[in-house]
Amino acid sequence: MSADNSFEPTIIGFLCNWCSYAGADLAGGSRKKYAANVLPIRVMCSGTVSPHHIVKAFQMGADGVLVTGCHIGECHYLKGNYMTAKRIPVVKELLGFMGISPDRLMLDWVSASEGEKFARVVTEFSEKIRSLGPSPLKGRAHGRVKEESKASA
Amino acid sequence: MDYKTVLTVCPYCGCGCGMYLEVMDGKVIGTLPSMNHPISEGSLCIKGWNAHEPVHSQKRLTKPFMRKDGKLTEASWDEAIDKVAGELTRIRDQYGPNSLAVLTSAKCTNEENYLLMKLTRAVLGTNNIDHCARL
Amino acid sequence: MEELKKKVKQALEEGKIHGFLGLKADEGEVSPFFVTKDNIAELEKLTAPDGRYSIGKILSHIAVRNPGKVIGVMVRGCDERAIIELTKASQLGTASITQFGVACTPQTAEKCNCPQPYPSQIDFGEKAPGVVPNELLAKVEQMSVEDRLAFWMSQFDKCIKCYGCRNICPVCYCKECTLEDQNLVPGGIVPPATPVFHFIKAMHMADRCIDCGLCEATCPMNIPLRTIYRHMRKAMQELFDYVPGKAATDKSPLGVLEEGGRLIH
Repeated sequence: MSADNSFEPTIIGFLCNWCSYAGADLAGGSRKKYAANVLPIRVMCSGTVSPHHIVKAFQMGADGVLVTGCHIGECHYLKGNYMTAKRIPVVKELLGFMGISPDRLMLDWVSASEGEKFARVVTEFSEKIRSLGPSPLKGRAHGRVKEESKASA
Repeated sequence: MDYKTVLTVCPYCGCGCGMYLEVMDGKVIGTLPSMNHPISEGSLCIKGWNAHEPVHSQKRLTKPFMRKDGKLTEASWDEAIDKVAGELTRIRDQYGPNSLAVLTSAKCTNEENYLLMKLTRAVLGTNNIDHCARL
Repeated sequence: MEELKKKVKQALEEGKIHGFLGLKADEGEVSPFFVTKDNIAELEKLTAPDGRYSIGKILSHIAVRNPGKVIGVMVRGCDERAIIELTKASQLGTASITQFGVACTPQTAEKCNCPQPYPSQIDFGEKAPGVVPNELLAKVEQMSVEDRLAFWMSQFDKCIKCYGCRNICPVCYCKECTLEDQNLVPGGIVPPATPVFHFIKAMHMADRCIDCGLCEATCPMNIPLRTIYRHMRKAMQELFDYVPGKAATDKSPLGVLEEGGRLIH
């Protein structure tokens, strides 16, 4: 799957309310320039991001999924991000085994004061997804392969 | 404290998958596929897996209902059967057997469909019988 | 088997157990059966055949309806692992379980491709060695990412959404199942939202699957489900040193609110 110059990745970003979303706000407020490929979804804690949400995002055509939360030890709910830290590697294992590159899912910690880090993370991740190309699940609405691509079936 | 499994055949479709109904204290609570069955080989489709559901379902009608003055009201079995038999006979005698038709359902068991088929052909005297899955 | 029948009969007669769940053979048909003092003669039909059923699941149904009773159960390797997982999840109510362990023959172990064809305590049978997992797992792990996707999608496209894998799984016990959630797996569409359906099941199996293989045995379309769950078991072991079905005191890292395993950064 080669990426052409006109491919703009669509990335779903799950940002925790207390740290990451505030960090993203700061990036905007400080007029930082960064890639516009992330569609932010504010969640109360990165620990509430379920594998179901992640796979649904890919199913709906997302090329990448970004999950950001508070730094370890700084979670507003004390231990929510421990769950994220344990859960994401398992989700990546499953994605990789099923044939969706685990690099399409990224977990990082962004605090409320790290506007610059947020901008950097988004830009780097967008670049990575751009080089990976469109998600292989695109065009499989409801799981059925579109008739054209089933030519040799 | 009573549990038993009853070997039976799935009542839907013509495959004839082997299954066990799980009976706990006199009530049918679940279905298991017959793992070494020569035809189904331990598999069931979604209808087979849920074959036990209608048995004790709360949604089952337990009394006949008849439309009186435009409203569905409870009726007695005698009243309902007299009405249905009377009307079907009248229409058959007045307009001929082929004026009647019977539509059965994939949600009926094979046995129910068989009875309806016999009723339509032998009693009503017509072959106008069909099934939502054209079985 | 006679030894075992005698042991169970004695336990029932002495009131040590109120009932016994096992497998019987009736004119070639193998099925689960339950024996109490009222039908103790049925015990004659007890057998440890090639065929298997989700004994753990049936036990949980009986146990939950009979709180405080003592229920005997014939367990093979897989059954014991299932009961351990169900105990962890409090699915056996307040009933107490007395296990009668049966070791499987090498032939049965081969047929089930079983990693551990014996329970921790054996009342009947000789311990046979675990069977090496079939080569499909290694084969898929060696495929490229694109080939893997093509492989799994072609498998998942066969799915007829019978929910057999979920219904027969001994460690699937949720009353409200995510696989029936309309937002994730919309109704009325077959094959079900791929790969979401199988992804969800695999994630839920990651810290629960006891590698009994019933899912694959019951799948009408022969989708190699067990291979996915085996990979997840491997991942859980590598990441957290956690193996489901090992000890009832173990706790799944994905279910406990605490630090554990390998944290990123």
